[in-house]
Amino acid sequence: MLRLVHVLVVAALVFAAADVYKIKFDSTLQAERVAKLRAEIRRERDLIASLRATWSELDNPERLQGLAQRHLALKPVETTQYDAFDKLPDRPPQVVPPRGDDPIAAIIGRGGDIATGSIPATARGR
Amino acid sequence: MQSAPSPEATPAPLPRRPRLLHRLLYGRNVDRGAKAKARVGLAIVAFAAVYAVIAVRLVALAVIPDPHGARRGAAQDAVATARPDIQDRNGEILATDVKAPSLFAEARKIVDVDEAVELLSATLPDIDAAEARERLVSKRGFVWLKREITPKQQLEVHRLGIPSLGFLDENKRVYPNGREVSHVIGHVNIDNQGIAGMERWLDTHGLAALHMAGLATDRLQRPVELALDVRVQHALRDELIVALDKFKAKATAGLVTDVRTGEIVAMVSVPDYDPNNPREALDPTRINRLTTGVYEMGSTFKALTLAMALDSGKVSLASTFDARVPLRFGKFDIHDFHPQNRVLTVPEIFTYSSNIGAARMALAVGVEQHKAFLRKLGQLDRLRTELPESAEPLLPKRWGELNTITIAFGHGLSVAPLQSVMAVGALVNGGRMIPPTFLKRSEEEARALAVQVIKPETSDKMRYLMRLNAEKGTATKADVKGYYVGGKTGTSDKIVGGRYSKTKVLTTFMAIMPADKPRYLLLIMVDEPQATADTHGFTTSGWNAVPVAGKVIARIAPILGLEPRFDLPPADKLILAAGKDAR
Repeated sequence: MLRLVHVLVVAALVFAAADVYKIKFDSTLQAERVAKLRAEIRRERDLIASLRATWSELDNPERLQGLAQRHLALKPVETTQYDAFDKLPDRPPQVVPPRGDDPIAAIIGRGGDIATGSIPATARGR
Repeated sequence: MQSAPSPEATPAPLPRRPRLLHRLLYGRNVDRGAKAKARVGLAIVAFAAVYAVIAVRLVALAVIPDPHGARRGAAQDAVATARPDIQDRNGEILATDVKAPSLFAEARKIVDVDEAVELLSATLPDIDAAEARERLVSKRGFVWLKREITPKQQLEVHRLGIPSLGFLDENKRVYPNGREVSHVIGHVNIDNQGIAGMERWLDTHGLAALHMAGLATDRLQRPVELALDVRVQHALRDELIVALDKFKAKATAGLVTDVRTGEIVAMVSVPDYDPNNPREALDPTRINRLTTGVYEMGSTFKALTLAMALDSGKVSLASTFDARVPLRFGKFDIHDFHPQNRVLTVPEIFTYSSNIGAARMALAVGVEQHKAFLRKLGQLDRLRTELPESAEPLLPKRWGELNTITIAFGHGLSVAPLQSVMAVGALVNGGRMIPPTFLKRSEEEARALAVQVIKPETSDKMRYLMRLNAEKGTATKADVKGYYVGGKTGTSDKIVGGRYSKTKVLTTFMAIMPADKPRYLLLIMVDEPQATADTHGFTTSGWNAVPVAGKVIARIAPILGLEPRFDLPPADKLILAAGKDAR
């Protein structure tokens, strides 16, 4: 009985040792990865910060104004060029343009089967 | 082992001699089998206990995060001086941290100081060789050699292969918008500690403590949002620089504030400095004239005098004051700049900017009440904002009738321009005085802070007067069509050598827009403008500060989201009548 216990305990010990070693090894690997990722995140974040700084340097209104004055023929907007949305006139009624470049020529070209200007049923179905 | 048989063996009667030995060794009548079993049991319990401890420790390790792992990455920037970003109201970055390597040495371990200094000064030309040598021979454990070098320099120094040199990544503060925001943001020193402006404010509000504790390592601190709008700031600064040039002035300054919340949307004082090069800030001509300087605000102060008179109930808009002859007080004569030599009504006093009228009005109210009113409007005490820089107003030592007369038209009392902006803001926004702030503030927060200083009816009248001034007074050049601008000009003689100078003046202009329901207040200040051909030899406010304000308004109003409205009725119909209807 006790011999069986011994054998079991020794087996458990060996198994536990192997398992602990594996866990330890894994955790070391993971910790290294975490440290690496952390360093990477830090580096990325620093890079983002410096890019953002560069961006707002490029976005600086003084610089933009200088560039606009040098390269664009635009003038500052006048007060009278602004207006409110509710003062916009109503949208003009929508006129559906007929197909083709020249609508009249298209009607004539369709042939003599249309006596009036009405559109045949087949054409409407298309 | 003959004398110790296995425990399983039954205690057979032993021969005589071994029994004696057994008794000597183990004692009389001891069952060795049972004893052995108990011992094995004890060993099992002991080992189980040890394993239990290990198991518990494992669980604890798994549950509680490892503090060393977190620190491992942070070790390389031991100098924990990260600062939060500063952004404008739209999220544009005004100040941020970037990492820059700094060169240090472990002086104790250095082998050949001369060689090291020689190599270093060849690689880093701007290093001070004598100072570097002194530091290296000091035998200390850690000395800085050069702060904030470029990555290229870092590589070159690395290639020199001098032992005991090392690099630390430090946070370096950069201001991408440079000069545009210099006076508001302030700047930091080489150790990333704020020493001026909002940077200093950050330090006094907890950041310094974080730095001391070494906790400010990460840039995950929440950014600080200012009330500033960088676009408005730029437009204002651009026009002020043009004005500085055009009028050959000593300085120009401007400020835009939201009268409903007290937020400062833009604040510029040129000449300014580049916060990336803080040495410039030491030049006394580059101070922030709006908060650190005190000035006699001139006729702009008449707005306060009129508001006081109207609010006291002793004077109405229809009251008249005699301005036929200069006001004589003791040996002093008070003249008008645009003498009308007749009896003037209250609106006329405002639009002609009559010194005599304002003085008589203040006398009608009384010296003590005048003083009390100005104190209520915060003109007699130092105004404190988030900015560490502030200036105490200069009061007369004894405040008699003569002082009241001169202060009525803005001479004899020097205040910081920001202070007068706060007061005029209160005069036009319905009578609520709100302390100015550089941080974002909602209207509700402002309402909680506001103090009612004048009646809302008086505020209506003040807006009417200011609008009238833009329609037919001294401020017509700032009346940008569509924005219903109102304003009050001011020109004060500067004191040179204890006397009022005839040629050196400070001109100011306070504009409100739109005058019927003001949202923004603009202050333009020109220090010692010179007359030009355009101004027909005049140096008064109407010829310099006012047109500048007009240009600024035309540029900033669309940015501020003010809707242009045309064909509005004149001031007496729109503001006065509307004010009466509302009540």
